[in-house]
Amino acid sequence: MHRLILFFCCLSVAEAQIPVAPTPQSADSTNGETNGNYNIVNNLEGGYRFNTVGGNSLQYRSSVNYGNGVRLLGSSLAVNSVNGRGTLVDQIVLTTQGLGNDPYQSAQLRVERNAIYRYDLGWRQNDYFNPGLLTAGGNSQHLIDTTYRMQDHNLTILPQSKYKFFFGHTGSAQLGPAFTTEQGRPGFQFLDVRRRWNEYRVGNEFSVAGVRVNWMRGWENFKEDDNFAPAPAGVPGFPATANAGLLSLDKSAPYHGNSPYWRVSLFTGNEMIDVNGRFTYTAGRRSFVFDETAVTGATGGPQTTTKVFSEGNAQRPVATGNLNVGFRPSSKLYLLNSTAVYNARTQGDSAFTQFSPGQPVTTISYNYLGIRTVANDTVLNYQVSNAIGFYAGYQYSDRLINSIEQTNLTDRPARQTNIHHAGNFGIRLRPLQDLTIQFGGEVGRANRPFTPVAPNHYHALNTRVYYRTRNLQVTAAVNTDYNNHSVTLSSYSSRARRYAVDGSWTRLSWFSVDAGYSKQHLDSVGGIAYIVAPETLVTGESSLYFSNLHTVYSGIRFAHRDRVELFAGLTRVQDTGDGRSTPAGSGVGSPREIFQVVQTFPLTFQSPMARVSVKINNNVRWNAGYQYYGHRQEFSPNLNYRANTGYTSLSIALNGSRISRP
Amino acid sequence: MNGGVGLCIVLFLAAIVGTQAQAPAPAPANLAKTAGDVQYVGSQACKDCHSDITDTFYKNPHNKSIASQKELPERTGCEGCHGPGGQHIAAGQTMINFRSAPKEQVLDTCLKCHSQTLSRANIRRSSHTVNGIVCTNCHSVHSSPVTKNLLAKAQTNLCSDCHTNVRAQFSLPFKHRVNEGFMNCTDCHNPHGAFQPTWAYAARPRNVDHSKANEEPCIKCHEDKRGPFVFEHSPVRVDGCKSCHVPHGSTNSRMLTRPVVFTLCLECHNGSGNLGRQANGVKTQARTPHNMANPLFQNCTQCHVRIHGSNADLRYFR
Repeated sequence: MHRLILFFCCLSVAEAQIPVAPTPQSADSTNGETNGNYNIVNNLEGGYRFNTVGGNSLQYRSSVNYGNGVRLLGSSLAVNSVNGRGTLVDQIVLTTQGLGNDPYQSAQLRVERNAIYRYDLGWRQNDYFNPGLLTAGGNSQHLIDTTYRMQDHNLTILPQSKYKFFFGHTGSAQLGPAFTTEQGRPGFQFLDVRRRWNEYRVGNEFSVAGVRVNWMRGWENFKEDDNFAPAPAGVPGFPATANAGLLSLDKSAPYHGNSPYWRVSLFTGNEMIDVNGRFTYTAGRRSFVFDETAVTGATGGPQTTTKVFSEGNAQRPVATGNLNVGFRPSSKLYLLNSTAVYNARTQGDSAFTQFSPGQPVTTISYNYLGIRTVANDTVLNYQVSNAIGFYAGYQYSDRLINSIEQTNLTDRPARQTNIHHAGNFGIRLRPLQDLTIQFGGEVGRANRPFTPVAPNHYHALNTRVYYRTRNLQVTAAVNTDYNNHSVTLSSYSSRARRYAVDGSWTRLSWFSVDAGYSKQHLDSVGGIAYIVAPETLVTGESSLYFSNLHTVYSGIRFAHRDRVELFAGLTRVQDTGDGRSTPAGSGVGSPREIFQVVQTFPLTFQSPMARVSVKINNNVRWNAGYQYYGHRQEFSPNLNYRANTGYTSLSIALNGSRISRP
Repeated sequence: MNGGVGLCIVLFLAAIVGTQAQAPAPAPANLAKTAGDVQYVGSQACKDCHSDITDTFYKNPHNKSIASQKELPERTGCEGCHGPGGQHIAAGQTMINFRSAPKEQVLDTCLKCHSQTLSRANIRRSSHTVNGIVCTNCHSVHSSPVTKNLLAKAQTNLCSDCHTNVRAQFSLPFKHRVNEGFMNCTDCHNPHGAFQPTWAYAARPRNVDHSKANEEPCIKCHEDKRGPFVFEHSPVRVDGCKSCHVPHGSTNSRMLTRPVVFTLCLECHNGSGNLGRQANGVKTQARTPHNMANPLFQNCTQCHVRIHGSNADLRYFR
């Protein structure tokens, strides 16, 4: 028994890699304070986060990013009218997370008056940071440190009526500094990222002749007004010659446009037949100007001014349609036919002019990409009895791709078609009330896929087994996905296999455990062709990639009545690669070292955590937690980091509500 | 002009609210109804024995139909879901128990009211339904611990209970921030079934929610990658983002399918097979100036900066 407990403690990982804070506790919804016609449940968790980071702190900021400081880790407010007929409001629900400078902040609000209106607000903010990482070590030249903010408003008028009205707005902004590069220039540029996107929409739903009609008209607007500035020569971490000789650079590239759209959905049905469809038309359009003036030369010496000017616009009208027709001759049999149509035409022109000390050069380019896809899918689903059911289906897709890349008058339109057939089959068994077994598979063939990595000759198999009782839950799953493009492997082949098992046991009120293990295997081989000096094309070699990813997670919870609760968890991810101990492989695939050393990337990522929650009184709990993050790459140790993070907080229930576990 | 429109909207809403607020409460419907040998007795009759449920039922979204007092007995209150209670009270006959009811009965019962919603229009073709997962597998009508949608658990835990392999992917070093609470599975997926993807040509992915204009869901947040661009990187538009990215999580930075950029690019730009725009292969590197022996050319996106699409350059240079 002791060994068993020790086993669980050692394995103990909790709910995936969910951060240690906020504490997963909320006010008991059966309590709260009733005042007149309204019941109010209100609680919040406020506290302090801390962290220390060793190793590559930039990688830590990219993948974890929790910092120090006071936070409103989480809060919840629920107001409900008791009789369901409040004067202006029947329900207010507000939840927040991470407010006060966490890198992942969000708030959600719902305000509703039954049968009259419903308003939903979603707001979130993410500090997105990437120091130009490449897993294989070194740096790329694109660094970004921005804040992404998004808000979504939805107002429904008469939500319970047959005639509903919808109004909405979604907006996002990405703002912050970045670092970028440009072809033809040896150096780097500072970039002030300023992207804004707004969508406004209005719609309505009604019934006519037994058909439910839902339409929406939307207007999307996108603006990118990035500003560029040259990085001075000698930026740490970059070649000393970077931007040497570039005396000044003035560059701007505004890119604006709209994508107004219509969407109409129809659905109807009775016990025998149901039909629904969705049709959209989007008229995307963008305009741009690119203006750059560069002065190069030695300081005090002769200087050269080069000016580049480019302008044009792009359009993409997209029409799509979906139509589903389902027949249900009995409650056990369902036959469905689905059709999807997609028609997009992207076209645009770009006039490029460069004013050099010699003669000005002007190029006018035109590009066109047309995609027309028709897909039809038929599925039969039959429930033989409570214990057994199955489904089987067939899908046919036909895609036509037209394109023109016109950089000179000799370019000609190109065209290809791609026809795809797929069949799938599945069976579900329920031999016991609590045991479910699912098995499914799909086989597909495409004649001319667009890219080597696209599905071509593929088959996929999936099996899941669930055993679920009130206190014990066990899930096991196996998936395989094989895709093969050519028997000679000059093109591409991949094999993916995934195995997972997960279980949780919650029989005792004072003890529960959750643990899982998953393995994901991927190996792929793709034919490559590349250039080496002097202008030599190398063919006949392959790019290999191996990944054997083991993930273990578990969580264990002890509670002493509702006084004290302890939680310990661990997540550990380990990619063992193909087993090699040094970056260089055995020469398989390509004799060149640059291809061998990127064939596999063994790494380990682990995150143990522990949390304690102590009841102070009925309305207050004190919480504290610790979480460690460790990232270790075997072949690129300069990217490793280890971080100790933690928090302490008070969970406070207001309005008579009482803190309890969900 | 804008102020006038706003004022009109405010007056319109105020008029609706005012009308409803001042309207006398509708007369209570006759909750007892007999149709053949089935007898509806109304939710009041349930309170005597099931007060633990009915006392706080005003917080339940299903209470709206009771509060409206407009619905027929078979479409509201306890009997709206559990069936007529007359025989249950008189003779102890069992009502519909959703724990043990057949899957089809659970689905049919819920869809009596919930089918008339666009987001659930495809529920019968969803891969959940096809695999025997129905409403009560994810929703807990009487004991939901979350504030919205009556979910049986917080959404992330709910989905990962079954999708254990996906759960593992969100623990990888580079991932969408689902575990952190910044995103939810439903930001990209519709668990009630989605229309067939129009942007993809194979049957998969399934249950992926479209953007409002029937495009790939990624552009709902990554609008800067949407275009249109004069020079589209065509696989982005033809095969979608997953040509190069892993949507849930990856061990590789930027959630790429490969740990470095050049293998990602060269595995497609190899000139082989009947691929590409003209079905004669995807173009290989130009002979000048490339030289893979030079580190400068091992990072393709140093020069091909606008790899998702460019307006100013055919080769995505600027």
